[in-house]
Amino acid sequence: MKELVEYILKNLVDYPDQVVVEEIETPQETLLELTVAGSDMGRVIGKKGRVINSIRTLVQVPAAKQGKRVSVELIETGDR
Amino acid sequence: MNAEDRREIEVRGDDVDQAVADGLAQLGLSRDEVEIEVLDEGSRGLLGLGAREAVVVIKPLSAAAQIKEERPEPEPEPEMVAEVVEVESEPEMETVVEVVEVEPEFESVTATAVTEATEEPKTSLEEAEAERQAAQATVETLLAKMQVTATVTTSISEPDDVTGRRINVIEIHGDDLGVLIGPRGDTLNAMQYLARLIVGHGLHQRITFVVDVEGYRQRRELALSRLAERMAGKVVKRQRPVSLEPMPPHERRIIHMTLRDSEEVYTESSGEGKYRKVKILLKE
Repeated sequence: MKELVEYILKNLVDYPDQVVVEEIETPQETLLELTVAGSDMGRVIGKKGRVINSIRTLVQVPAAKQGKRVSVELIETGDR
Repeated sequence: MNAEDRREIEVRGDDVDQAVADGLAQLGLSRDEVEIEVLDEGSRGLLGLGAREAVVVIKPLSAAAQIKEERPEPEPEPEMVAEVVEVESEPEMETVVEVVEVEPEFESVTATAVTEATEEPKTSLEEAEAERQAAQATVETLLAKMQVTATVTTSISEPDDVTGRRINVIEIHGDDLGVLIGPRGDTLNAMQYLARLIVGHGLHQRITFVVDVEGYRQRRELALSRLAERMAGKVVKRQRPVSLEPMPPHERRIIHMTLRDSEEVYTESSGEGKYRKVKILLKE
C-alpha cells in the first residue's frame, strides 16, 4: 500500500524527493500519512479533492487483499 | 432547439480558457466556428480546497457543423496503424506484456517513437506511440503496486464519431478483476484518472487515454446505447419526450452519439454538474 501511494505521489508532484509516506499500524487500521512539499499540496489534493480521493479509492484494492482497513491522510505543511 | 444542438459538448477544465481550448481541440474547430456557453466559471479555491472546475458548453455554429458533415471523414487507414503497432511490439509477444515492476522512464519513451511520417489528424502517430508506451508502463506499475496480477494490452480506438480522433485504450485482463472496477466503475475511474495525470505529468501535457478492465467500458457502452434505442422507441410510441437519469459526461455522450442519426428523435442535455441529464425529444 505504501509503495503504491509513494509511486503515485512521486510521479505527480514537482518535488518527488520531498514525498514522505509513513505507515502507522493501529489495532483497527493502517494509517498512511502523506507529506509533500507545500507547493505540491494543491496538486495532491486536486480539484474537489479528486486526486487524494482517487488515491484513497485505489489503496483499498491492496488493503482488501490483506484484509485491512486503511485510511490516507495528507499532513499539512506550513511552508508554502 | 434543432438538430445541430446534438453536437454540443460539455467540457471541464481548470479555468474557462482551458476548458474552451480543450473542447475546441476535441471538436477540431476554431473559436469562431462555435458558440460558447459558460455554465460555471470555476474557482481556484485555496490549496485546491473549494476549487471548482470551469464548465463550458461548446456548440458548433450551424455553418461549421454543416461543413464538417459534408467533409468526408478523415481516412482511418487501419492497415497503416496495424502495421505500426506490429513494428513496435516484440514479434513473439504481440503487445501483451506480463505485469512486472517497472519504473516508467518517460524521457526514453519519446526517443523510441516511430519515425514514419503520417497524416493522422491531431496527434501524430509518433506522439500516440510515446503516449501508449508511457500509459501502458504506468498502468502496469500501478497494478503491480496494487498487488493485482493481470496482463495489460493496448490498442487504438476507432476514430471518434465527431472528432475523428483515435485514442489509446489500455486493457487489463485477468481473473477476478471485479475489485479493479469497483462500485459503478469508481475504482476503474480512479485508476484511469491517476494514470492520465501521471502520464501527463511525465510528458508535460494533458494526455487522454482509456483504461478498461475485461471490456467493462465496452459492455457499459453497449448497455447505454441499447437503453438509448429503447427510450427513443418509447418517445416515438408515446409521442412525448423522455428524460433519462443523470449521467456523467462520457455516458451522456454515448446516448447523444447513439441517436444522432435518428430520423425521428433528437437529444439534448439539461441540468448542471452531476445532475445533468439527457432528454430525448421528437423531431417535428
